[in-house]
Amino acid sequence: MQAPPVIRTTGLSYHYARGVQTLFDINLEVPRGSIYGFLGPNGSGKTTTLSLLLGLLNKQQGDIEIFGQHLLQNREAILSRTGSLIESPSLYGHLTARENLEVYRATYGASKTRIDEVLGIVGLDDTGNKVVKKFSLGMKQRLSIALALLPAPELLILDEPANGLDPAGIIELRALIKRLNRDHGMTILISSHLLGEIERMVSHIGIIYKGKMLFQGPLAELQGLQRQRARLLLRTSDNEAACRILREHAPELGEEGLSVVYDDTEQVARINRRLTEGGLDVYLLHPKESDLEQLFIDLTSEHA
Amino acid sequence: MKLAIALKAEMLKTKRTASFYFTLVGAAVIPFTFLLNLIVDGLDDTRKDPLNSIFRVASEMNGLVIFPMFVILVCTLLPQIEYRNNTWKQVLTAPHTKGRVFLAKFLNIHLLLFLFLVADLIFMGVVVVAANFIDPSLHLLQNPFDLGKVLAKWGNMYLAALAIGSFQFWLGLRFRNFIIPIAVGLALWLTGTLMVFEYKSSFATYFPYSFQTFSLLPRTQPLLGQMAWTSLAYALLFLILGFADFRNRRMTA
Repeated sequence: MQAPPVIRTTGLSYHYARGVQTLFDINLEVPRGSIYGFLGPNGSGKTTTLSLLLGLLNKQQGDIEIFGQHLLQNREAILSRTGSLIESPSLYGHLTARENLEVYRATYGASKTRIDEVLGIVGLDDTGNKVVKKFSLGMKQRLSIALALLPAPELLILDEPANGLDPAGIIELRALIKRLNRDHGMTILISSHLLGEIERMVSHIGIIYKGKMLFQGPLAELQGLQRQRARLLLRTSDNEAACRILREHAPELGEEGLSVVYDDTEQVARINRRLTEGGLDVYLLHPKESDLEQLFIDLTSEHA
Repeated sequence: MKLAIALKAEMLKTKRTASFYFTLVGAAVIPFTFLLNLIVDGLDDTRKDPLNSIFRVASEMNGLVIFPMFVILVCTLLPQIEYRNNTWKQVLTAPHTKGRVFLAKFLNIHLLLFLFLVADLIFMGVVVVAANFIDPSLHLLQNPFDLGKVLAKWGNMYLAALAIGSFQFWLGLRFRNFIIPIAVGLALWLTGTLMVFEYKSSFATYFPYSFQTFSLLPRTQPLLGQMAWTSLAYALLFLILGFADFRNRRMTA
């Protein structure tokens, strides 16, 4: 039997100002043990959704269940098992890394040794008496993650954690997230506006755009959708005749030629053979690029 | 227990900030001024009952200006620590109720107010001993000393400041820009002081920013008891309103 999801929202809707709806009927399902990439362009409602999950915003419509418990009635119990980083680092600039963690240590019932552990995990165990305001953005981001890890959480919610990080920092972060998921069994919900940034680490993806969920499921399902949408660009001596011959491939006639759907490279060869057998000369036969990034753009622009 | 944990967290946040030193410096202003005055001009108008007079004058000067200013600044600036560091989100996603966070911040401020009053008394004690050495002919330490009266004066100072402390605390939580609450506090303090000294307004008995003047004037001294209760009632009212506002507001930092 499949384990119940760690996060489940039902019909979640939210508006900041009257008449300006930010979220519409969000039904999020984050499976236990997954790394769930919550994807959407800036302003699509990611932070609002995550803020609702953490109780930073009061729910207006719909329901939120985390660890199978309703958030409203079990807020403290849920938050004690959840680590979070919402947008920019939330740290006291006048304190050291260790002191920042000490502020929250007793709140989460963590031991003093846990501070050393989390500082070691994020590679900040040698910052000594340096106060946080003298840290680089990457160091602050890592300390924020250490803070999120302090309660040894079962669920980690990270809102755009790669913001402001250089490429090396992003690679480090990616490795850290994978390690936390693999070695500590943490369920991780991570938001981003760049698919390329998270597609190499997530197991599940949810795409939100203008407050509506466009897609949700395992990464493999999205990749299947990507393959379904792959098209072959063709230019022949008679494009209209080619459209008739390849009717079952959903041809679309455009300025640069025609495009048809295809499944695999063998099918590309068959399409070519049918066109030449039909007496047409084939000038161009080119699979159109359709990576996940393109699919994301397509999905969001279809709803623009 | 959970409140104690939240209070400890609040105290840790003030580490390395100027608040602790600011409290001690604020508490030292009047004792230092007194010492300076003693060295330069000597002790003249307090010869009759010198020891009690020194503490009376100190409590009046503190109560009228220094302590209310300190309350306005500390109650406003301490809650600002979260805005300045962009940490409200982290505070509110920790497993604490909003009520506990609110109360812990309020108690932390009152610990500093308490520290101010205690430090002020200790500094005054040190100054008196120093004065005794500077001018042994005063025989300061051989004079009667009414500790109960002194503690009552210091207690009155605290009670008079309760209402404005709660109001300023609310403003400090409410506004991201600390200039607004401080400006409001200073303007109301000036208004309250003028209402008593200049306009002799009867409304002053209900105006929290006038309460600090009550122990100074013979006509308002009998009202000290009433003032204490009114101040306490206002403090509770402002706390309840402040908490309702805090609970319902979206903290954006």
